[in-house]
Amino acid sequence: MAISNSLAELSRDLSQAVEIGGAAVVAVHGRPDIPSSGILWREGVVVTTDHTLKRHEDITVTLPNHNTISAKFAGRDTGTDIAILRIDDQTTPAAKLTDEASLKAGNIVLALGRPGDNVSASFGVISALNSAWRTWRGGQIDRFIRPDVSIYYGFSGGALVDVEGLVIGLNTSGLTRGYGVTVPASTVSRIVGDLLTQGHVRRGYFGVGLHPVELPDGSTGLIILSLEPNGPAAKAGVFLGDVLVSLDGKPVHDTDDVQAHLAGDRIGKPVTAQLVRGGAPLTLDIVPGERRPEGGR
Amino acid sequence: MRGIAEIAEPLRRSTVQILNRGGGGSGIAWDAEGRILTNSHVVRGDEAHVIDANGQRFRARVIRRDRERDLALLETNRALEPAPIGDSGLLRTGQIVIAIGNPMGVPGAVVFGMVHATGGNWIQADIRLAPGNSGGLLADAEGRVVGVNTMIYRGLGLAIPSNDAAAFVGYREARAA
Repeated sequence: MAISNSLAELSRDLSQAVEIGGAAVVAVHGRPDIPSSGILWREGVVVTTDHTLKRHEDITVTLPNHNTISAKFAGRDTGTDIAILRIDDQTTPAAKLTDEASLKAGNIVLALGRPGDNVSASFGVISALNSAWRTWRGGQIDRFIRPDVSIYYGFSGGALVDVEGLVIGLNTSGLTRGYGVTVPASTVSRIVGDLLTQGHVRRGYFGVGLHPVELPDGSTGLIILSLEPNGPAAKAGVFLGDVLVSLDGKPVHDTDDVQAHLAGDRIGKPVTAQLVRGGAPLTLDIVPGERRPEGGR
Repeated sequence: MRGIAEIAEPLRRSTVQILNRGGGGSGIAWDAEGRILTNSHVVRGDEAHVIDANGQRFRARVIRRDRERDLALLETNRALEPAPIGDSGLLRTGQIVIAIGNPMGVPGAVVFGMVHATGGNWIQADIRLAPGNSGGLLADAEGRVVGVNTMIYRGLGLAIPSNDAAAFVGYREARAA
């Protein structure tokens, strides 16, 4: 679709984009007040935000055709604020995704939600794009997307779409303070895949508490302040007071550097840890264990 | 390209300031007879002072009022440039809208936004309104008035659909073209 050169045509194109994108945006009734939004991600699977889902039973979903049907809670990842629901519906087409590689700051975007029967829209631009980031809840998001759009009440769980109505990601106000962010579609697809196949998102862990310290040579390491008994690090021979300097040859300066070695696919695969104990270097192989998912709310 | 400035320009000429005791707002020059449409809450008494786009100040008299729908029609003896009135029944979510009014006393200020939701008694607009926009116009990308900005709710602008406003004025058929 060529973007037109007059405001009136742009206006028509944008309302068309609302219609196209809104065809996969549903209302999720899972809290006492007005509904939040969700996206039909693949046949029978709705994604929504975890923080807006206040119950895991008696959930219903209002489809774009205004039918309200029951939905079954099918998993959550608090780290990325994503929850999934299963519905028995073949009428709603799944979201069509945009090409994430082509996104640029300044692109016109729309936030779509369905805080009731009808789709609602807000208008703006992509205000910032950046590399992968980790949420305060510990989830790994593959790209930072901040839209300059109003995420109105009931819009969390809805879609950020481009001017053609193709989905860029899932909007949430639950991961940052003061403004909304968009979880990119690639991250949503990864989490949905994990939740459907494993019931949770796999995350590795060492079983240590760490704090940055300066070493005599001026470099920074992470001192082991706590150690889980029989945890992965304890089993490898790590002691309290050891200072972690690098993992697989890469220096570690903060806990994010360590988290980078703990993605789900690293579980069970040894990591070579360079440590300092009593002033002397020491090398140990630590096998990341799997962190058990948090209990249901 | 016919940009926002070009669309806004004639609409700014059709927007007036309304002043009265303890406040004020905006008004829309509705017809060539000098009648002005605004919110009922903008004009408390039977009369108000009006300042047109040229800075001319004059008096206007309330000739019709609907407190429940929050609309008032004023009569003046001035010739004003009436705004073209659109059909709010055709509005779709996602269409571009602009609002013109006197937010915080700034005359003829323009803001840009989008139809957030339609249906019911209100046009909900994703647009940044402020006190003083009340009674002013919400227009589509063709420069036709589609609503009367009336209040702000949870950050959304709520406007009375132009078709309701036209019915209030009593001219619906005559102005439908």
